Amino acid sequence: MRNIMKKSTMKPLAVLASASAALLSAAAAQTVAIMDGTVHTVSGDIIEEGDVVIRDGRIAQVGADLTPPAGAQVIDASGKVVTPGLFGAYSSIGLVEIGAVEDANDSGPAEGFALGAALNVIDAFNPSSVVIPVNRAGGVTRALSAPAAGDSLFAGKAAVVDLSGRTNSVTRADTAQIAVMGEAGAGRKGGTRMGAWAVLREYLDEARSYAANPNDYVRRPHESRFALSDLKALGPVVEGAQPLIVQVNSANDIRTLIRLKNTYRLKVIIVGGTEAWRVGSELATAGVPVIIDGMANLPVQFEDIDATLKNAARLHQAGVDISFYEGAHNLRLIRQHAGNAVAEGLPHEAGLRALTLAPAEMFGVGDELGSLEAGKLADVVIWDGDPLEVTTKPEAVFINGRRQDLENRQHMLMRRYRDLSRGDLPHAYRGGESD
Amino acid sequence: MRNLAWTAAAVLMLGACGQESGDENADAAADAAATQEAQAPSEGNGAEDGGETEGSVTPPQNPYPSTYEPYPGEAVLLTGATVLTGTGERIENGSVLIADGKLAAVGAADSIEAPDGATTIDAKGKWITPGIIDIHSHLGDYPSPSNATTSDGNEIVGPNTAYVWAEHSVWPQDAGFTRALAGGITSLQILPGSANLFGGRSAILKNVPSRTVQGMKFPGAPYGLKMACGENPKRVYGERGGPYTRMGNMAGYRAAWIDAQSYKKKWDDYEEAYNEWADNDDDDKGDAPEAPARDLKLETLAGALRGDIRVNMHCYRADEMVQVLDMAEEFGYKVTTFHHAIEAYKIADYLAENEVCAAVWADWWGFKLEAFDTVGENAALVDAQPGGCAVIHSDDEYGIQRLNQEAAKAMADGRRIGFAIEPEHAIEWITANPAKAMGILDQTGTLEAGKMGDVVLWSGNPFSVYAKAEKVYIDGALMYDRSDPSRSPRVDFELGLHDNDYTGGAGQ
Repeated sequence: MRNIMKKSTMKPLAVLASASAALLSAAAAQTVAIMDGTVHTVSGDIIEEGDVVIRDGRIAQVGADLTPPAGAQVIDASGKVVTPGLFGAYSSIGLVEIGAVEDANDSGPAEGFALGAALNVIDAFNPSSVVIPVNRAGGVTRALSAPAAGDSLFAGKAAVVDLSGRTNSVTRADTAQIAVMGEAGAGRKGGTRMGAWAVLREYLDEARSYAANPNDYVRRPHESRFALSDLKALGPVVEGAQPLIVQVNSANDIRTLIRLKNTYRLKVIIVGGTEAWRVGSELATAGVPVIIDGMANLPVQFEDIDATLKNAARLHQAGVDISFYEGAHNLRLIRQHAGNAVAEGLPHEAGLRALTLAPAEMFGVGDELGSLEAGKLADVVIWDGDPLEVTTKPEAVFINGRRQDLENRQHMLMRRYRDLSRGDLPHAYRGGESD
Repeated sequence: MRNLAWTAAAVLMLGACGQESGDENADAAADAAATQEAQAPSEGNGAEDGGETEGSVTPPQNPYPSTYEPYPGEAVLLTGATVLTGTGERIENGSVLIADGKLAAVGAADSIEAPDGATTIDAKGKWITPGIIDIHSHLGDYPSPSNATTSDGNEIVGPNTAYVWAEHSVWPQDAGFTRALAGGITSLQILPGSANLFGGRSAILKNVPSRTVQGMKFPGAPYGLKMACGENPKRVYGERGGPYTRMGNMAGYRAAWIDAQSYKKKWDDYEEAYNEWADNDDDDKGDAPEAPARDLKLETLAGALRGDIRVNMHCYRADEMVQVLDMAEEFGYKVTTFHHAIEAYKIADYLAENEVCAAVWADWWGFKLEAFDTVGENAALVDAQPGGCAVIHSDDEYGIQRLNQEAAKAMADGRRIGFAIEPEHAIEWITANPAKAMGILDQTGTLEAGKMGDVVLWSGNPFSVYAKAEKVYIDGALMYDRSDPSRSPRVDFELGLHDNDYTGGAGQ
């Protein structure tokens, strides 16, 4: 599955299609016509009283005054808002059930663990995670599931997944490699930023050397502190085929990163970026997208001095692609990030794009996901109002054209305890059933 | 940065309450610190030398008194707005008149006239609420910038540190206060963290920048005591001499309350003996009885037993909360509020019967096992009980900036299961109810004539993500104005950074 993003081949689409094939077969029979909603296509105009037809797992038609195909299930979406499914650009979904419970948390390695880049989330990603249905009910249909770094500067390989909960819900493995720099990097390697960048360059150099001729590299004397599996995993990164998602915040670190990107011809995405707005035009020129925390506005660390709620609006203004990150349990809150960014000047459509098409494009799946366009995979959400508003909820969620179950344990718990009377039997006998 | 290192984030999500997982070593200095043998100088009865002639020795009730004084504000009439009074009322086309630092009048726009010299602000299309109150904050104790040198919220040296006072850690230069102000926060309670069974005393502040914490202290507000249930104490002290289990937690509280009872009795007995001695007219009645030695830890606990200090109990699980209610009855004290009460909905009836508030998040969950059973309807289900008291709290320097949004989510989830919760009611979750729980409802928390002029003018419905606090008045003074940089405070730390360009400030 490595190198699937090489531009020179058609493999990306082929792999994506085969990965989706299993999912689509079950949904193949479903034809759904969502009628008369306010349709945010994201890639194009907003269509008032618009229609979206889903067939065979894909979007068949988007427009106004469409005629539902014969046999289609028709959903009246009048007064509702229809958008692409939300895409969590950076999360640990599927890797963690309970944060503080070791045996229920696979997001990052234990202290002292030697490997970094070689780790691959798909070895741990659990589509049955209890976290998934809660976020699916919040309108999130895809996400990047990313490992957290241990002692290494590299955390490992992230994957794009869907939130269907089905066995094969990995959309694209080996989507990106993760690295932590800035304060977090300095804390891991060398105690200074100089140290951390030097170690990062060493890894990139060694990975290049390894990639150029693996057999030769193994035979000749080489530094044992570079694990071969890590170097092997960095191959697509140094080839410029696989994005390196780098955690940095300060404007200064971002400039250093841009220099590194240019020197090594890397594909780079920033996560964090609290001061990214200060280097907006440089980021736009370098083509580096930024995945931010939409709420970050405090000088939490010395690398966050210029954190501001206007980060998103200013980056957008500068022409930088943006998205928002959240952990795992409340990945659904990315829309609150976007809503707050819109309240601080980000155009509404840009806010929605940051939650859909922007991350899809960052991870090389923009031709299959992220907007409502005929031919794309049918990740669609029908909302009972403005999707960026905190009081809004999804009424229907489709992943790969398949209508999703919006039930989850939170709803079941609520039903169980809504009536606190003693009853004929204890609460343990009540409300556990799905609606 | 939040939530990037997921494992670390999980720990942080224990709340600032959870930063006890640091590597500080337990230290026996705790006991030494707790027992202050020094005799009390008396202040309570005005005597300077132990009160032998003027009265009995009394531990000082207020040794770090508030020096807060309202800033000057001109009389202002906000008119034509949708007014949520915090008393359950909603006034369309309403007016709020603030004068002399107080709310002078609240009502229909046509019923209130601007007095001479008052400024009239057309607030048509805007909304007005009482100043927002956060019952659970660690601003100043876990300030920005956040590092080991500023981490002052959890005295992780022993399971009972009732002797510490949060105000002695509060750094008034925390930029978080300014950001909270821009979110409409006018009063807040700073609590010690939750590593310990007894974490220490809380401080209730007005959110007005000051050189000193005394300059922020809410005049006359009662103290609170922070206690913690469940996972945190047993995790922190399991390998450090205990408590190792939840039964160890309970035993730890009970042993402390027994000590506090006898300490209280010692002082009550002394007071009685002193009064007897003072009333005795015999010339040879001898010296006044000797006052007991003060103990800072027991002084706070005895204050809780007397009802002078309000008990704020961090407790997630339903079963533990009910155990604690029994314990409160065993020792004759009252729990005012359960904080982080993830499972409050499972025992909402017990909480209402016992008149205990539940302070909850809208949707946080899963960062630890005792936070697994979150439901979005928690606040609504607590609220639905007759006499139920729901509070939305933050425990977070970002959440405190948008408690209105958190309340909006909780309201919306309640409405979806059929509760007719209107904004005029849900606003109480972040105004009147925390004020009641904190013991300051007689002064703030609602828009009623005579109360402090703590008022927020919102750009629109505050239960919307797009609403912004445009003007925030505290005691009638305009402390924040979104459109006026000269009314947007910046802490010292933010001055002169980055090429002396403008950095920081409330409106960031």
